[in-house]
Amino acid sequence: MRSKRSHNTAIRMISVLLALVFAFMPCLSFTYADDGAGSGDDTDVSIRDLEGKTIGVQTGSIFDKYIEESIPGAKVEYFSTFTDEVNALRAKKIDGLSTTETTLNQLMKQEGGITVAKEPLGEIGTCFLFPKNEKGKALVAQMDEFLTGLEKSGELARIHDAWNGEDESLKVLGADPDSLPATNGTLRFVTEGTFPPYDYFSDNKLVGYEVDLAVRFCEAYGYGIELIDMNFDALMPALQSGKCDFGASGIASTEERKEKVYFSVPDYHEKIQVAVLAESSSGEGFISSVVTSFNRTFVQENRYQLFLKGIVTTILITVCSVLLGTVIGFLVYLWCRRGGKIANRVTSFSVWLVQGMPVIVLLMILYYVILGSVSISGMWVSVIGFTLVFAASVYSMILSGVKAVDYGQTEASYALGFTDRETFFGIILPQAAQHFMPMYKAEIVSLIKATAVVGYIAVQDLTKMGDIVRSRTYEAFFPLIAVAVIYFIISAVLTAIVNRITVSVDPEKRSEAEILKGVKTVD
Amino acid sequence: MIEFRHMQKAYGSSVILKDINTVVNEGDAIALIGPSGTGKSTLMRCLNFLDPPTGGQIFVDGVELTAPGCDINKMRQKMGMVFQSYNLFNHMTVIENIMYAPVKLLGLSRQEAYDRGIELLRQVGLAERALKYPSSLSGGQKQRVAIARTLAMDPEIILFDEPTSALDPTMVGEVEAVIEDLAQSGKTMMIVTHEMRLAKKVSNRVLYMDEGIIYEDGTTEQIFEHPVKDKTRRFVRRLKVLELDIQSRDYDFVGAASEIEQYCFKNRIPQRLCNGIQAVVEELCFTILRQELPEPNISVVAEYSEKHESAYITVRYPGDFRPGSTDDKIPLKLLDVFSSTQEYSYDEETGMSTVFIRILDK
Repeated sequence: MRSKRSHNTAIRMISVLLALVFAFMPCLSFTYADDGAGSGDDTDVSIRDLEGKTIGVQTGSIFDKYIEESIPGAKVEYFSTFTDEVNALRAKKIDGLSTTETTLNQLMKQEGGITVAKEPLGEIGTCFLFPKNEKGKALVAQMDEFLTGLEKSGELARIHDAWNGEDESLKVLGADPDSLPATNGTLRFVTEGTFPPYDYFSDNKLVGYEVDLAVRFCEAYGYGIELIDMNFDALMPALQSGKCDFGASGIASTEERKEKVYFSVPDYHEKIQVAVLAESSSGEGFISSVVTSFNRTFVQENRYQLFLKGIVTTILITVCSVLLGTVIGFLVYLWCRRGGKIANRVTSFSVWLVQGMPVIVLLMILYYVILGSVSISGMWVSVIGFTLVFAASVYSMILSGVKAVDYGQTEASYALGFTDRETFFGIILPQAAQHFMPMYKAEIVSLIKATAVVGYIAVQDLTKMGDIVRSRTYEAFFPLIAVAVIYFIISAVLTAIVNRITVSVDPEKRSEAEILKGVKTVD
Repeated sequence: MIEFRHMQKAYGSSVILKDINTVVNEGDAIALIGPSGTGKSTLMRCLNFLDPPTGGQIFVDGVELTAPGCDINKMRQKMGMVFQSYNLFNHMTVIENIMYAPVKLLGLSRQEAYDRGIELLRQVGLAERALKYPSSLSGGQKQRVAIARTLAMDPEIILFDEPTSALDPTMVGEVEAVIEDLAQSGKTMMIVTHEMRLAKKVSNRVLYMDEGIIYEDGTTEQIFEHPVKDKTRRFVRRLKVLELDIQSRDYDFVGAASEIEQYCFKNRIPQRLCNGIQAVVEELCFTILRQELPEPNISVVAEYSEKHESAYITVRYPGDFRPGSTDDKIPLKLLDVFSSTQEYSYDEETGMSTVFIRILDK
């Protein structure tokens, strides 16, 4: 009966949520121009107009220096993805955003309502990056040779034009990354795939100018290639730690960066420009805008597959961590119960360590430091990390649950002649479970949400997939809300499952027949 | 059946039980009585190893419990225990509480355990509550179920650890009745209680415990009617004692007055007697002796006997000084009004004067 009620609650929660979403949608102005005609040519905005205004910059890029130099008094605001910058600009949270010319062209082709300031902020050369080790040294020499050759033959400009152009049929990689001969081993190439036309997802595959160059390079020098997508902030650590062999994401060399990684010669010289909001174009009707958003988010390029993959990853990480964490937390508790001071000290120190730092830090430490030299995918590192986190909570939960059971229960059981083990499993644990099951449920829900940070260690979970889709559609609201709703549904389903288990272990929910199993009550 | 040999129990440096020696025979219904903190419960908990003794030996049916390697769990099955706080298993119904141990430990079939359980529940008058959870029972009902649970293991001896202390006064009767039934059936049992009435009703042997030992051992009649030792006599006659030591002229008389008041309140001493005790102590000690003695070093012992409805005050101090010889006649007059009898004596050997005053509740 209880489980039915919880089902109903879950359904009610979701419907309330959907109602909220639709109620708010009209407020979120949907302003998509029907055609993507850029209005950059007839711009009359100057960067001087931006003095004292707020300009968006992607965290980890070097554009903030150029803004400081060229636009006096401008305030810089940092965003973790380019998509977020675009959405912030649309929502008028910032007055302008800085990025490369190519990226802006791409944006304006697809989206209306954005224009570019007349003067560029400066020029940079985007490069490939390599770890500072022997292998990196050798690779950077090969890459320099490769890029110089391409430039001389004019091939480099041709490839860039192809990716920067209108013709989608030209936007294909020079070779299939999965079927390179790999006679000299396989290289791990890392990028952040929300950065068209350099590095982005098309038809759910990582493509772009730099990805293309990377693949061609590997083909030319007999390497295989593994393409890895990671959050922008995590690129540098991934390269420095040698987790990846080379990377690129429209990154220019600076003196500071040169101390940490090797840079190739530039693969392209880029203007840095500032984009601002043009006079707003006419809005669409609400229903049709929802339909458009839905199409862009889910249907175009079969993007729903990205979401499905993300959902599977999120659920896999959550379920594995919950199961392993529960088992480990329980075993550790048993060890501490029997074990002496040392067991308890070691455990409470570990719990303190795991619970004392943000999960993201724990994951990064696991990925780059502890398991830095081990070839293990971010997915399994996430499972290890969240298993540790969940095991720590399970241990603490059982501890407090058992403490909540009166010691008299233990004494009564001993006095009847039960052993310590029989007492714990037969008398104490069933009662402790009633205390910690509600906590357990809450922990699972917070674990699902906590998994959203795994994008930092190259795992494409639901949140990351949402980001990737947003980087292609430049929409904030629909993909975000879709992701939120999916999280709610996953939480509701998992909670319902745990509720079922809770009911089945709740002694007071048993029927009379279950209580008197194997007994005839008639005298 | 059970024998204690020089058993000791200490918690760290504080020794609760110094030297326990006694034999429990089959059919003994032993009441353990004595002031609180004298280790009555501890003695029982040592027996079933909930608090393992720290020295000496315990034998049960010739098996030494205190020997290393003794299967305590097995031995505990022979000794049922009923706790002050019932300790029923909250996640089980009443009948499951009773069936659980016999099925798991004695290997009874569920049917056998159930039939026996229901029979025991009938015995304690709770058969119709078989499928209820402990949380829905009253304290008295819980304790009766706890007794039935203990009986289900068919133990050789039942240990009752203050079985009625946690109960509401209205429920004491139902539990006492069950214990009395058991006693009459000749079950070997040991009961720690503060209820002298219960001790008298259910026991055939009484151990008076004090000073960490079994101070006096005898039949119920001997201990309650003709106790040999002074402390036992005081305890069973319900003499309640208050001691004050006045060591200096700056003694906290206000604090002492309120201490007397509290003592009277706690022991439910009638108001008139209470006033009497206060007046006597005040006039004799705080006024007369304080004025007359150069160095006050007075010890006051007040005793109250419920049985005789009277209070006794013994005041001792150094020097030969008769209170009646004071010049201050007003406190002397008041002293005479409140006391029924006054006796003065002087011991030349110790150089101490003793004043013994009796106050009657009339």
